[in-house]
Amino acid sequence: MSAQVSTEHSLQVRGVTKQYGDFVAVGDMSFDTPSGVVYGLLGPNGAGKTTTLRMINNIIMPDSGDILLLGKYQPGPEAAKHIGYLPEERGLYPKMKVRETLRFFGTLRGLGNKPALHQADSWLERLKLSDWRDNNVQDLSKGMQQKVQFAAALIHDPELLILDEPWSGLDPINAEVLKDIVAAQKDAGKTILFSTHLMDQAETLCDYVCIMAKGRKAVEGRLDVLKRETAAEGLLHLALATPDDESRARSEVLASPTVDSVRDENDGMVVQLADGESPDKLLAALVAANIGIRRFELQQASLHQIFVDRVGALADADQEGRLADD
Amino acid sequence: MIRQAFIIARREFLERVRSKWFAIVTILGPIGMIAAVVLPAYLSVRSAQEGFHVQVVDLSGRDVAGMMDIDLDAKGVSFKLENVPPDTPIHVLEERIRVQEIDGYLLFPKDTLAGGEVKYRGDNASNLLVTKGLRSLVDFAVFRARGTEMGLGELQIASLFQKVDFDPKHTTGQGVATSATASFVVGYVVMFVLYIAIFLYGVAVLRSVIQEKNNRVVEIMISSVRPLSLMLGKVIGVGRAGLLQLTLWGLMAALIVGFREEVLGLFGIPGAGTFEMPRIGAYDFAVILIYFFLGYFFYAALFAAIGAMVNSEQEAQQAQTPVMLLLIIPVLCVQIVAGDPRGGIAEVLTQIPFASPVLMPMRYLYDAVSPAEIALSIGILLVSLLGAVVLAAKVYRVGILSYGKKPSLREVWTWIRS
Repeated sequence: MSAQVSTEHSLQVRGVTKQYGDFVAVGDMSFDTPSGVVYGLLGPNGAGKTTTLRMINNIIMPDSGDILLLGKYQPGPEAAKHIGYLPEERGLYPKMKVRETLRFFGTLRGLGNKPALHQADSWLERLKLSDWRDNNVQDLSKGMQQKVQFAAALIHDPELLILDEPWSGLDPINAEVLKDIVAAQKDAGKTILFSTHLMDQAETLCDYVCIMAKGRKAVEGRLDVLKRETAAEGLLHLALATPDDESRARSEVLASPTVDSVRDENDGMVVQLADGESPDKLLAALVAANIGIRRFELQQASLHQIFVDRVGALADADQEGRLADD
Repeated sequence: MIRQAFIIARREFLERVRSKWFAIVTILGPIGMIAAVVLPAYLSVRSAQEGFHVQVVDLSGRDVAGMMDIDLDAKGVSFKLENVPPDTPIHVLEERIRVQEIDGYLLFPKDTLAGGEVKYRGDNASNLLVTKGLRSLVDFAVFRARGTEMGLGELQIASLFQKVDFDPKHTTGQGVATSATASFVVGYVVMFVLYIAIFLYGVAVLRSVIQEKNNRVVEIMISSVRPLSLMLGKVIGVGRAGLLQLTLWGLMAALIVGFREEVLGLFGIPGAGTFEMPRIGAYDFAVILIYFFLGYFFYAALFAAIGAMVNSEQEAQQAQTPVMLLLIIPVLCVQIVAGDPRGGIAEVLTQIPFASPVLMPMRYLYDAVSPAEIALSIGILLVSLLGAVVLAAKVYRVGILSYGKKPSLREVWTWIRS
């Protein structure tokens, strides 16, 4: 089908704003999705994720700002030939045959008749739906319909795959199927952009994230870098070799001013160091006291934590702003 | 854009043509047509054979009742007349009607020959054929009695009242004159079929738009194609199905009319072949189809816009009323056009874009319209059609995604102006 479009960024969003009356659904939103990565657009419900994705897919027009797809397309039917889109509100024509459905969406997005049928058959085989290809969509179970929807979004082998809350409403089996598809697309060098409010899914899949809140960008970047940068300073997991080690540690080391607080967790404890104290000092003290250590691990910030941190900060700022207005 | 519109049109066409309802309606249509041809003929033959039982009270003293000639052509209705004694009380006759022993009674008053009022009371007096038939029987009997009174002989009377042949045919000086009744019927049937087809398929577009909203496919569609392509695709696809159905009906109608003697013969009704039908040639059929397609397109665009504005078929029922009215008004005007196809009102009506698709083919079939008029009306219709499509596309583009709430008229107006 289409020639391989090579560009550094599959998607560039620049200062995009969408307002409904006085309500700012998306405000001055900018982010870049590098090619070949899995990119998560995160945020609570109402953050403006779907509005952003709809603008990228030419379903609604931004009031201002620019969107550049695959380095050369504005949102529109031409760009759509290179984009696979799975909307949040999913649906198919109930009285259309499964294979026809896939061919229809394939040809709409630029495939010829024969290649579309060929692709349809290979997707149906891959998703184990070949026996159903001549059934009407409405005869299929909900789970099977979801698979047909995945195939419909991917039939034209798009460079960029955009999924809006893809895991909502999926049964666990199809959730796995979708994860595999995302992984396979990434392996094939495609770019995947998806929105979700489920941090666990994003954490396991994303290379990059952009967190939105109240229509604005809160933070954007590589997930591993963000994790390193964010919070968690001075928070560590500690597990000791024996109960004796543990009681000695509590009385001899952890009671010192180096440590701010200690909280039990199911396997050991979580230690919060006092401001300005380094973990090395605590480790040295434990070793000096000859206490047996089973686990000593600096805690990395979870995506959830980054989320709470950044979105919370934005919410606070918003609160202050409002107070200032008053 | 065009390619995508045709992909969408193909889908709409196939979905419609493959549904069992398409087959059912396509077959039932002609059965309805056969019924329209056969039933009236069949029923009139049957009731004519049965005849109405009428008792006659003759107070004239001149045996007017005896001069009624039941062999006379009584407009296809037959009567079984029975004289009863002049002193039979009215209430007895009324009772006989009540228990359905007779259908009615006829009363010749004493001064019948001097212009007295002849009365008929019966349970079938609401039937125009019955009153017309009785009237001619009574007229003839009274005229005959008066003639006898004047001393005329039987031969003279017969010559005086010999039936005058009268032959009304429709012509406008262009082409062959055709049976007046048949012309009217064919024009009327074509008008009605056009109205029904435009209406049915226009509403089909409306429903298709709403269904696409309800099953949420619309979002993926709008992300893939321009809203105008989507709308045009729908209108073309549904229209193709309509055109196919109309063509099939036309062929079947031609067959039925061509073989009407045989068809009627199956039901034991002879002589239908003498009924002279106006000829509808391929050229006429083309004119009818052009008006169907343009009229359908005009209305379908409006229906599509309505569909984009609403979220459910219940909401649509109200919102579509203005468009329905536009379509119903020309049907209400059909008598004006049929009654005076070359009159000024007919000329104006058949140039108005929302009326011409339904009324112009009828005028055309009456040979009452010049080629220039047809060209003008098609031109006006085309321009309005483009206007309607542009207008509808604007409403459609914004409305199609605004599910959840119904837009106010003011909002729709801003969509149109944007």
